[in-house]
Amino acid sequence: MPRLSGAAQTECVKPSADERGNLGPSPSRDGSRPGRGAAAGYARRLRGISGLLQKDPYFGYLLILPLLVWALLTLIYPLVETIRLSVLDVGYVGTPGAFAGVSNYVRILAGGEFWRTLRVSVTWTALNVAFQVLLALVAALVLNQEFRGHEFVRTWIILPWLFPSIVLATMGKWVLDPTLGVVNYLLLSSGLVERPISFLGSPGIALYAVTAVNVWRWFPFFTVIILAALQTIPRELGEAADMDGAGYFARLWHVELPTISEVLKVVILIASLWAINIFDAIWLLTRGGPIYKTTTLTILIYYKAFQEYRISQAATISLVMFVILLAYGVGYLRRVMKEEVAISA
Amino acid sequence: MRTVKTIGRYLSVAAVLAVVMLPMYWVVICSFKTVPELTSPTPTFWPKTFTLEHYTRLFEQVPFARYFLNSVYVALAATGITLVLASLAAYSVYRCRYRGRELLYRTFISIYIFPRVLLIIPLYVAFTGLGIIDTLLALVIVNVTIVAPFSVWMLRAFFVGVPLELEDAALVDGASRLQVLVRVFLPLSAPGLAALALNSFLMCWTEYLFAVAFLISDTNKTLPVGMAHFLQQYFIDWGLLMSSSVIIAIPPILLFGLAGRWFIKGLTAGAIK
Repeated sequence: MPRLSGAAQTECVKPSADERGNLGPSPSRDGSRPGRGAAAGYARRLRGISGLLQKDPYFGYLLILPLLVWALLTLIYPLVETIRLSVLDVGYVGTPGAFAGVSNYVRILAGGEFWRTLRVSVTWTALNVAFQVLLALVAALVLNQEFRGHEFVRTWIILPWLFPSIVLATMGKWVLDPTLGVVNYLLLSSGLVERPISFLGSPGIALYAVTAVNVWRWFPFFTVIILAALQTIPRELGEAADMDGAGYFARLWHVELPTISEVLKVVILIASLWAINIFDAIWLLTRGGPIYKTTTLTILIYYKAFQEYRISQAATISLVMFVILLAYGVGYLRRVMKEEVAISA
Repeated sequence: MRTVKTIGRYLSVAAVLAVVMLPMYWVVICSFKTVPELTSPTPTFWPKTFTLEHYTRLFEQVPFARYFLNSVYVALAATGITLVLASLAAYSVYRCRYRGRELLYRTFISIYIFPRVLLIIPLYVAFTGLGIIDTLLALVIVNVTIVAPFSVWMLRAFFVGVPLELEDAALVDGASRLQVLVRVFLPLSAPGLAALALNSFLMCWTEYLFAVAFLISDTNKTLPVGMAHFLQQYFIDWGLLMSSSVIIAIPPILLFGLAGRWFIKGLTAGAIK
């Protein structure tokens, strides 16, 4: 990206030619990517116009200031406050707490409760990501075919994602209910089971049942993203593969999957960050039960803060969770994406 | 052979649609069933008698209209604030260059690694101190915080495509920077703003965690929190759950019908390039 004037100046120009949405507006170091030429052309054009856009060095700062202040007050301050609470011993909200040093951390990390919850969280996240991405991939491949009304279907497939979790919980509880649920009715009437299964009440099944409900809500969202990536495959490529007599799976392996591999990496990251943060679906379906089998970190933090009134412990757990997520996020970007990208979810 | 392929194609599409649509069909249908039919162990796939009782009960037994208005208020207010904050910030990030821009942008984008639940405790304490706990204002504030970073990212796909010449021409004509932004640039990126507004509205409309933590009195509850009461541990009012689920789903569907195209463009443009 050509520099147009001193770095401290606010020059308003189009962001770098690197149009990959998951990259920041920085010029990319990879000169081989298409769009580089466009940037040079752009700079030439910019010289052609009056240059007024480059005046006013503080305009950019001024515009970002409101959001910056907002973020400082509602994101950065809470983070600092959470750190403060974690070294105190606060019970109820609003009560002062004595200084506790690292005793909260010791108690959390030495107790079995945290590790059990972390295990559930990891299992929950892995299950969700695996099924959401797999189903999204299958659905995207199916909807990528030519069929009548494909435009409509490819847009509205996202429908489940538009509903609040309470609707999701209603559906899940209703369909899986031991006495009234249609799933049990079908299982019983087809003779697959002898007596109704309490999906959300059985310790061995509950986590999978909640996962199934949650996957149903989220996979369409990722289907839409993967579909968009599939649409970038030029027709000729597919036709060429067909001409070579490549079967469906050979084509999938050599054409479709390589094309969407980058998007899949992004989708997996987003899906995992979202899954681990999910609260409402689990809370409304099982409240973390039976016997803590669906208590993820998010549920545990909420429970500690608002049911047991142990604010400091809740703050400590959420900080530990934050560190884990940060390590995971950074590690994933470095290792899997092989680059410095800023992901949005 | 050709026919077999076509049949296979339509069958596979039908299968995907069935997975997505059947549970929704089930809830809609059940919302019109009478109580005995609803609670009979043998499900019926079409109501024997249509009834609107669950819908009328919704407005007679529960302050449902109140919840609905609360939800609308929170979603609209938060969307309005987000529109202003995020569009200004996005213009700054995508159109201007200054020291620290890169860092700011990355910080905003990385905010998603923040566990949301981490915000609850300190904000609860702060709102209690400010005396705005248990008000809709508290919920508006926190919703903006959650939605804004994604909004900035989403605008990228739209802002980058607006040609510079128009802004430049307006500047040559003596318009101020702010006038150019408000009168020239933002109208040109209207689809992006529509996508942002839709996403923001949806997020606020479906938000449950902060609503349940911050709202205490019945008159301040939003729809999801109010509805959660029908899902009591020992007594579940299925009829009310079904009818309210149908009603709560209507606004998102209508809005998606209006701006869904742009929303999907904004969502996918960033991810696939």
